[in-house]
Amino acid sequence: MRERLKRIIRKLTWTYNPATEREASDSTARNFLLHWFPAKVTAKSMSFSYSMLLGTIILTLFSILTVTGLILMFLYVPSVERAYWSIKDLEFAIPYGWFIRDLHRVAAQLMVAVVFIHLVRVFLTGAYKHSEKIVGSYRPLNWWIGLALLIVTMLLSYTGYLLPWDQLALWAITIGDHIALSAPIVGAAISKVLIGGTIIDQNTLIRWYVAHVFFLPVIIFLLILWHMWRIRKDGGLAVVEALGIERIREDKVVAKAKTYSLMGIVTGITPTITQYRVRGTAVSSSPNLTRRVLLTFVLVTAAAMALTFLFKAPLEEPASLMWTPNPAKAPWYFLWLQELVADTTIRLKGLTISGGFVGGIIIPTVLLLFAAAWPLIDRTPDQAIGVWFHKSRRLQNAVFLLVCAVIIALIYVGAVMRGPYWHLYMPWQQWIKMPTRF
Amino acid sequence: MPDNDKEGKNTETQISRRRFLSYISGFFIVGGFLMQGLTALRSLFPRVLYEPPTKFKVGMPSDFPEGVRFIPEHRLFVIRDNDRFHCISAICTHLGCTVNLASYSPPKEYKSTSGTEVSETYEFHCPCHGSKYRENGNVYAGPAPKALPWFSMYLAPDGQIVVDTNVHVGHDFRLKV
Repeated sequence: MRERLKRIIRKLTWTYNPATEREASDSTARNFLLHWFPAKVTAKSMSFSYSMLLGTIILTLFSILTVTGLILMFLYVPSVERAYWSIKDLEFAIPYGWFIRDLHRVAAQLMVAVVFIHLVRVFLTGAYKHSEKIVGSYRPLNWWIGLALLIVTMLLSYTGYLLPWDQLALWAITIGDHIALSAPIVGAAISKVLIGGTIIDQNTLIRWYVAHVFFLPVIIFLLILWHMWRIRKDGGLAVVEALGIERIREDKVVAKAKTYSLMGIVTGITPTITQYRVRGTAVSSSPNLTRRVLLTFVLVTAAAMALTFLFKAPLEEPASLMWTPNPAKAPWYFLWLQELVADTTIRLKGLTISGGFVGGIIIPTVLLLFAAAWPLIDRTPDQAIGVWFHKSRRLQNAVFLLVCAVIIALIYVGAVMRGPYWHLYMPWQQWIKMPTRF
Repeated sequence: MPDNDKEGKNTETQISRRRFLSYISGFFIVGGFLMQGLTALRSLFPRVLYEPPTKFKVGMPSDFPEGVRFIPEHRLFVIRDNDRFHCISAICTHLGCTVNLASYSPPKEYKSTSGTEVSETYEFHCPCHGSKYRENGNVYAGPAPKALPWFSMYLAPDGQIVVDTNVHVGHDFRLKV
């Protein structure tokens, strides 16, 4: 009995101190939670100085969001009459409701930020680049999956923003809806699908709620799995290319051992498996990689919890279309877009193109298309793959960083320097006094 | 297929029974799923909307003071000039925020596009992105692409003013009471 229990526990866990190489590699093959790790991994791939462990950090934040989100689903009612008051209950009546809500919000905001930093890291290290010389690897695909993940992350954050049904939420959605409306031809249809009618009401809330708690999480989960799988298919992080580890192709004849698999049934053909042998220094994933992942999980969770005490989730007055808060601001990660929509209305004799279309649709679409096309345009040598600031990529890195700096600057201007009526104020200037509403 | 091989020349123009059936079934399977998808998509465009009416009463003419009055529940301004009324939308044409009324006393002087000196006692300012509209709803600053629309008004049999937000009218429109 005790032996049996031990065996079950051994199946569910793995040892942190494997005595032999065999025991180490065995755990990655045996344990379901570890099966997506390779048996061996290079020390450089795990180092903070190369990858900054951003993927693991994002995965931790996503786990926090899943758990807190699930709890919040029990406590939140997606109806225009009760949504706001169920958030009020979370804040004041439900034991630790405020903590769950704040943690969910902090993790969501961190996730948007870290996903963006992850994109910057991948670009600056040239990790999206494809090399003809490396067999069985196509890194641009993972770059595109990553861009899709960025979009879904932002959509998740944005749909969650509406749910409290307060003034902050309502006006962020109004602006988003009118950006969709400003698109020519299809604008009205898109807006109708988004808000489920012509005004923002119950239809809108239930649509965004379902998107937030089901559609988008499922999509992001599948994309995450694909993203992870592609890393394995590409032979690990791009830094292995820079380490000069060759993958040597070996065609190996496989003995027909498993009769339940197709290979065991096939006759007449000798099945071969193409495998790539890694030459160079690599260590066992267990415990080297598992330790790092667990440590990151613990530290990121602790940091998110600590930040929860510093950043309280706001809850403004109940949503009302009758008046607009002044100034009305989008969430910070969309402030650069809000700054753009406010500045990019084009007026040529008689023809006016709304800034909503230029700044809200054209500019972000062009940026995304550029990012998506870049792996195909980039012609820098293979030596630039997996290296921070490679000298052959100096110019494109500079342009990329400039674009990032402009986005961050626009966010800063939108967040700090825009006062009532979207007037520009220097940080040291006093905003004009707005009459208080009663 | 052995049957076709015997036919000789005809093999190029004929398709086998198996292939024919697989095309037909493929067509219906794909078509069936496509229709499923379309019905799901169609259901997201509601046929009935439970939204407030676009035509509504705003009150008796005598309820309105001289000048501008904001009606928050309908997001519009009713402007009274003695016995003449008109109505301007309060929804910013840029991204849909509710514009605020900015009153000026003494009146604000400015040069119109035709060069004449004009004075106005109020303007509309949008809190979201800083669009500014003149008395008559024309944009003069900020990102708004269009002027604020004017809505049609008429008197209901019970004497109340009715506003129809579906009918836009020109700047010479006045409801005489």
